[in-house]
Amino acid sequence: MTPQARARARRWVGHGAAYVGLIAITLLICFPLMWALSTSLKPKAELSTAPTLVPHAPTLENYRHLITGKSQYFADGSTGYQPTTAPPQYFMQWFGNSVLVSVGSTLISIIISTLAAYSVTRFRYRWRMAVPYFSLLGYMVPSIILVFPLFMVMTRLGLTDSLWSLTLGYVSTTLPFCMWLLWAFFRGIPIELEEAALIDGASRLRVFWEIVLPSALPGIIAAAIFSLIVSWNDYLFARVFMNSVDHYPLTVGVMLFFEGVHVDWGLMMASAVLMTVPMAVLFMMLQRHLVAGFGAGAVKG
Amino acid sequence: MGIRVENISKRFGKVEVLRSVSLEFTEREFITLVGPSGCGKTTLLRILSGLELPDTGEIWHGDRPIGHLSPGARDIAMVFQSYALYPHMDVFHNIAYGLRVRGTPPEEIRRRVDEAARVLEITALLSRKPKELSGGQRQRVALGRAMVRKPWLFLLDEPLSNLDAKLRVTMRSELKRVHRALETTTVYVTHDQLEAMTMSDRIAVMDGGRVQQFATPEEIYGHPANLFVAGFVGSPPMNFIDGVTLVDGRLVAAGAQPLVLPVSTLERFGAAIGAGALVAGIRPQHIALHLAANAEGLAGEVQMVQLLGSEKLVEVDAGGRVLSVVVDAAVTVRSGQPAWLTFDAARLHLFNAATQANVLPSPGVHS
Repeated sequence: MTPQARARARRWVGHGAAYVGLIAITLLICFPLMWALSTSLKPKAELSTAPTLVPHAPTLENYRHLITGKSQYFADGSTGYQPTTAPPQYFMQWFGNSVLVSVGSTLISIIISTLAAYSVTRFRYRWRMAVPYFSLLGYMVPSIILVFPLFMVMTRLGLTDSLWSLTLGYVSTTLPFCMWLLWAFFRGIPIELEEAALIDGASRLRVFWEIVLPSALPGIIAAAIFSLIVSWNDYLFARVFMNSVDHYPLTVGVMLFFEGVHVDWGLMMASAVLMTVPMAVLFMMLQRHLVAGFGAGAVKG
Repeated sequence: MGIRVENISKRFGKVEVLRSVSLEFTEREFITLVGPSGCGKTTLLRILSGLELPDTGEIWHGDRPIGHLSPGARDIAMVFQSYALYPHMDVFHNIAYGLRVRGTPPEEIRRRVDEAARVLEITALLSRKPKELSGGQRQRVALGRAMVRKPWLFLLDEPLSNLDAKLRVTMRSELKRVHRALETTTVYVTHDQLEAMTMSDRIAVMDGGRVQQFATPEEIYGHPANLFVAGFVGSPPMNFIDGVTLVDGRLVAAGAQPLVLPVSTLERFGAAIGAGALVAGIRPQHIALHLAANAEGLAGEVQMVQLLGSEKLVEVDAGGRVLSVVVDAAVTVRSGQPAWLTFDAARLHLFNAATQANVLPSPGVHS
């Protein structure tokens, strides 16, 4: 064996070991997801047999059930049992609530944090640096500490059990971090760009809209994804603020599939998959920007 | 219509960046503001652009005061040191932006961008993004963005400083060519005195927030107004000999070893050297190096020899004062060798040690 061949062999072994390790970790992380997907595709009868990763008779029954809202099991009334909350009927409603609340709170967070970050980086006024630093401090307070004071505020405002309470609640947790992220990002945008546009004759607003925002787009996308994920996945605020079953977001609603002793694992897992898919798709579409966004914030910030 | 900068002052906090600066130049002139970092040259340029407002003073374009106008309303163009190309727009849209903002019809924009691209030879790059361009290409795009609007004033802020040495020379003549073609009044900021000398019609040498001298390159080089200008312009820098007084019809530098300056005639200096301590200045190019004993010459010893290419820079220790001399590269000279120096009397400068001003009348004024 020549030394070159030996070096090549060693490199192959090294790479091979690294790949084996990475594949193992990936499988470990993906297993719950794969199990959820597999379970969601099994008919009810198969759930009580010995578990297999690949369903014997794959079916989309569970999904159809959730999406159409029709009772799969009790429609004929043969068992005489009627679930009091009938969770599957509300699935699409919850899904809509989650979308509305996540998108709404993200929009509010992004609009405010973009303007705030621009102001802090471009204008000079007393205490302007307090904004990013205090906002980071705000982000460090755990939501469990915030949730009860916020609940009291929502009660005062008469917003409990309204989607507004969730929207505003999520803004209060995501806004500080978005502001911090965008502040770091805006600092990295050279001021000459704006000055060049001003000399080109654009108004301050036009400069902001046509020059600053497009340059900050990766940062804005990163902040928006963060905000969407936080509000989409929240359980705590929704559990505390909401009372009516038709006002729940997905996270709290799906918990109703645990009904006393009866747990419908098929529906449960189908919901889990349907909850994960939108975020996963969004993430895959935008991850390039996300990496660029966090990278830029970290290096230049 | 000329431009008149009148008593502009500007301070940032406690720092006085510009102290009552006045300049006047005519249409089509290529003016360079040159000076060390912090001399106020960039601030003056930004005040001309409208990005900064002066604390006091006014800028006149002909008889129109423009000091209060916003940058966009001045209809000027500026090229930034970093080029400041819009990263999300391709070259075409970068160049077109100023026209688009001003509501120029699309076919007119197309025509003018194409024309600018042709002049700058960047037609092939129009659909590229700035990050896909080299430094020199970005420079051209930035120039194109400035040209396309046909402004009445170009402001260039150290546009060549981010380029490598070779490209800088190319772009220097390129800029000069564009200026000749467009005949737009140009104010150019640089800290590189060589750039200033090669490109300008007139140079304003700035230091400490003041214009030290505003004159043609020849005048600045041949008759620097004061010690600062004399030391700043020219390479290698001028030799200075301080403590010079007139003793028995000769210029003598006081010190542990008094030194008689090797100047054959003092006629040229006339009454200017009547009283007070002087600083003598002479450029390395205006000292002659003799390797054989010379009765007129100042005796010394060669300390160091640096080859500059076509010339050699020789440092000679003459009575404790080190003077640099430029000689032809063909001259054979080693360190440790004895040498004699004579000065070209016509090229000797004398400055008042207290006021630092050149005490000799300008040849232009004199004749």
